[in-house]
Amino acid sequence: MPSDPDIWLHIIYGYLHDLAVATYLGGAVAMEFVLGPAQGSIPPAQAQVMGQKTSDRFLWLVWASLGIILVTGILRLEHLGRLDWTWPFFNSGLSLEHSYGRTILAMFLLWCVLVVNGSLVTFVFRPRLAGKFTPGTSAAQVTASQTAKMQAATWIQRLTRVDLAVAVVIALMGASLKWGGLI
Amino acid sequence: MDTFLAAIHAVAWAVHVGGSITMEWVLRYAQRTMPPSQVGVVCKNAGTRYRWFALASLVAVGASGGAMFLRIDSAELMTRTGSPELSLGDSYGRTLLVLTVCWLALITTVALMAFWLHPAQRKRSSPDMTSQAIAAERLRIGRAIAHMDRALKFELVVSVISIGIGASLHAGGLF
Repeated sequence: MPSDPDIWLHIIYGYLHDLAVATYLGGAVAMEFVLGPAQGSIPPAQAQVMGQKTSDRFLWLVWASLGIILVTGILRLEHLGRLDWTWPFFNSGLSLEHSYGRTILAMFLLWCVLVVNGSLVTFVFRPRLAGKFTPGTSAAQVTASQTAKMQAATWIQRLTRVDLAVAVVIALMGASLKWGGLI
Repeated sequence: MDTFLAAIHAVAWAVHVGGSITMEWVLRYAQRTMPPSQVGVVCKNAGTRYRWFALASLVAVGASGGAMFLRIDSAELMTRTGSPELSLGDSYGRTLLVLTVCWLALITTVALMAFWLHPAQRKRSSPDMTSQAIAAERLRIGRAIAHMDRALKFELVVSVISIGIGASLHAGGLF
């Protein structure tokens, strides 16, 4: 066992970072290719309830993972001596002249894409899916609401697939950092 | 090539670990509000898909990990933090061995689930079954579900620990 607390910090940051990336990426794969098709095997009304429960729970995992990825990513860079808390923050190796710095920047931008997509799903499309009909709703309103729900579901599916592809690219970039970066 | 192998390795671990977390944390939660008959249908459907994903990802972890192991350059290894060595006399070598044992435990558990525990949950019924036979069949399925539950929890714990063990390799190992 390492005796140096500094090494323990390095291991803990790395562990939390890797675990959060795994939770995000593996969770998205499981939601898309395991739970999604399983949902189709039960009656539509029950499938909708299951979809809401699984999405609500999974969104907690998504936001927790994205938060941990950012915090531990910054702490790891600081621990590696590539970042500090005083101006200009970025130390040698993190400038855009180096492949390492460019790869880190690209990873951060892609993380922002995941945050934007996550926000769209959480605050725009999910609430549209949750709308219920009240007594006295006209047939035209029901049709319009159902169309809006179907559109929202399609958008969530598209965004989930984009997120999955983006997360795989981030993993590839992260793996490349050990050899100095990818781009 | 090293980057490609490391990316395959990382994605395969992520699919496995993230998948088991999602199955435990998301699917189990959703099942609580579902009627028992539909829980069975969803379990069967999701379980069948999940076992192949888990097996494929663990095979990919083994294949990419083995290829990375064969490509380890001892001289390059010495330049890393803590100057690790690929021997059981060094923390790096011991940690790699423990990680391999964890992988073996995981692939054995998932193979058991895929080829024994999951098929054992199928209900065998025929019109001429006695009430005793029906009760015995229910007991057998109950036991298979309990075994599956324990296997899933063991798989989740070992895979989460494995991520920690793997993360420690960057700092020279844990044991």
